[in-house]
Amino acid sequence: MLLENMSMAIHAIKANKMRSFLTMLGIIIGIGSVIAIVSIGDTMRFMVSDIYKNAGVTLAYVYVWPKDGGDMRESDYFTLDEMDRLKEVFGDEISYIDSNASTNAEAVFGRNKVKYQFEGIFSNYPEVQKINIIYGRNLNEADIKGRKNNVVLEAKGAKELFGTENAVGKTFRTTIYGTTDDYNVVGIYKEDLNPFEAMMAGTNATRSGYVPDSLLTWPNDNIYGLRLYAKEGTDMNAFSDTFTSYLAKTKNRNKEDVTFYSVSSEMGSADTIMGGLSAAVGGIAAISLLVGGIGIMNIMLVSVTERTREIGIRKALGAKTRDVLIQFLTESAILSALGGILGVAVGGGLVLLGGTLFHMKVVIKPSVILVAVGFSALVGLFFGIYPASKAAKADPIDALRYE
Amino acid sequence: MWKKKDKLPACVTENVREDLIKLVDVVKVYDTGSIKVLGLKRVNLTIKRGEFVAIMGQSGSGKSTLMNILGCLDRPTMGHFYLDGIDTAELSADELSAIRNRKIGFVFQSFNLIARTSALKNVELPMTYAHISKKTREERALMLLERVGLGKRYEHMPNELSGGQRQRVAIARALANEPPLIMADEPTGNLDTASSVEIMELFSQLHREGATVVLVTHEENIAAFAGRIIRFRDGQLVSDLPNVPQSQGQEETAKTEKEGAPC
Repeated sequence: MLLENMSMAIHAIKANKMRSFLTMLGIIIGIGSVIAIVSIGDTMRFMVSDIYKNAGVTLAYVYVWPKDGGDMRESDYFTLDEMDRLKEVFGDEISYIDSNASTNAEAVFGRNKVKYQFEGIFSNYPEVQKINIIYGRNLNEADIKGRKNNVVLEAKGAKELFGTENAVGKTFRTTIYGTTDDYNVVGIYKEDLNPFEAMMAGTNATRSGYVPDSLLTWPNDNIYGLRLYAKEGTDMNAFSDTFTSYLAKTKNRNKEDVTFYSVSSEMGSADTIMGGLSAAVGGIAAISLLVGGIGIMNIMLVSVTERTREIGIRKALGAKTRDVLIQFLTESAILSALGGILGVAVGGGLVLLGGTLFHMKVVIKPSVILVAVGFSALVGLFFGIYPASKAAKADPIDALRYE
Repeated sequence: MWKKKDKLPACVTENVREDLIKLVDVVKVYDTGSIKVLGLKRVNLTIKRGEFVAIMGQSGSGKSTLMNILGCLDRPTMGHFYLDGIDTAELSADELSAIRNRKIGFVFQSFNLIARTSALKNVELPMTYAHISKKTREERALMLLERVGLGKRYEHMPNELSGGQRQRVAIARALANEPPLIMADEPTGNLDTASSVEIMELFSQLHREGATVVLVTHEENIAAFAGRIIRFRDGQLVSDLPNVPQSQGQEETAKTEKEGAPC
């Protein structure tokens, strides 16, 4: 009987193709926009988590900053010795620590000038962040200790500056902290960017390179903040707490004045933003489905009136109240679910098209599709109740007489 | 669904099983709000199984009201209507639906086939509401269409069939659940003479095969096919006479008319 009702419903929907389509339009647009927005959100979330995975969930930035707006003290800065001491004290947690120093400088080679952002690192940096060396070598202990003018450049920038990617052994001139000097290229690396990062980098003409951290902290070694990578499996919250307490004590500051900013806490806030976005999408969906549902109720009322005679015939031939009710409920549910399916096709199509245009891997979850179609069917069912019960209550004699 | 079937009213006697239709002091009042109209005034009537009865009368005579009550589309205001021993006065709307489904086959003046639905599906409809399996439904519907001479047109939509063919589909549909009673309400009202005679011949044939047929009409030559003619006027039964069916003679007249028609 259910199959029978479904085939009758599809029959009735097909009989008025244009009208059915226009009725479904509300649901199509509603479900389509929901699918599109949810998929865009999921894609973004996927990329953000990808970026964080690259950045490392164990990454944290630490600095002292008086919350009451007071002046910085000399003791608020860090020194190289202090960094070594912290590494000793928190040997179980910290795997890498540096000054988080970087500087922007223009590299000059012959007539070529390229803007660079040089990031100061220690020689064991590749242990926590992959540097994909294609020519030459990474910075080593001797480079750091000897404060040597050795740099590792990213391949694209090297090609712009030297005209070749393999620039190992070449020398360029640049000015760091007001001092102009010659710098030697010891290695070239290639960046593995995900599409989102590539998109961001695309507008950025600044190239990147690594220099010994000690070059950037020179000459007074007053370090404003720390960048550290905790060891894999470290409980970042607990570590943040003990580390902050320790620093507050050694620097004679309140605990609130020490900022411990970790990627995992940032990830939490990103999830909050996504959650807010999802709530907004839910609101849009609710409104569009409400409007779509009212459209379906309207057309079902028209349909019931038009088919009064058919209802009369069915009742005369033995259809019970329930039979007629289910027939029209099935019809409105299928009409609405069909709108949902088309909406998924439209929304999913748009997202896939966008993904192709921007060379992005898009995420469309099957669960979202199922929920969308299921929910649209429920909307049809709900808004079909009134028209269907009107049909079911019709008196067979009056209905048969209806012209 | 059939709880009421065997629970016959206390007054039922043995010969009631032979009485397919029994009306006892049936009164129907239409309450139109301001005035009350008396549709039927104390009608008593019995129709036995296997009879072919024509109910005649002018419009407003009460024959349509009677038709609605006999067809279980409506209930009497007062009195009792026993169909196959069941008192319909006490039944709910859904119970009446079930009775119509199993006990009555309707043939209407305006055919009342479901539009854009094949002849086969139309014939299947009463069986669908009787929850008969799809396979049985299809087989039986095909057989019935064959029987009314439309075996090859089962896939046709109603608008692809002539009036006479549509009415034959309706007759096949009326026979679908093998109901004990066939109710025909002006079945030839929308047909030309030739088709009318064909349809009436079909009813006569069904009657000869044992069906009980109640025919409502205002045309004498259509009523002449019946074995008993009941006349109504002003909501009352005014005459109830046996009739010798003139089937054969009518057929010849029809044939000449048929042949003459194209000119």
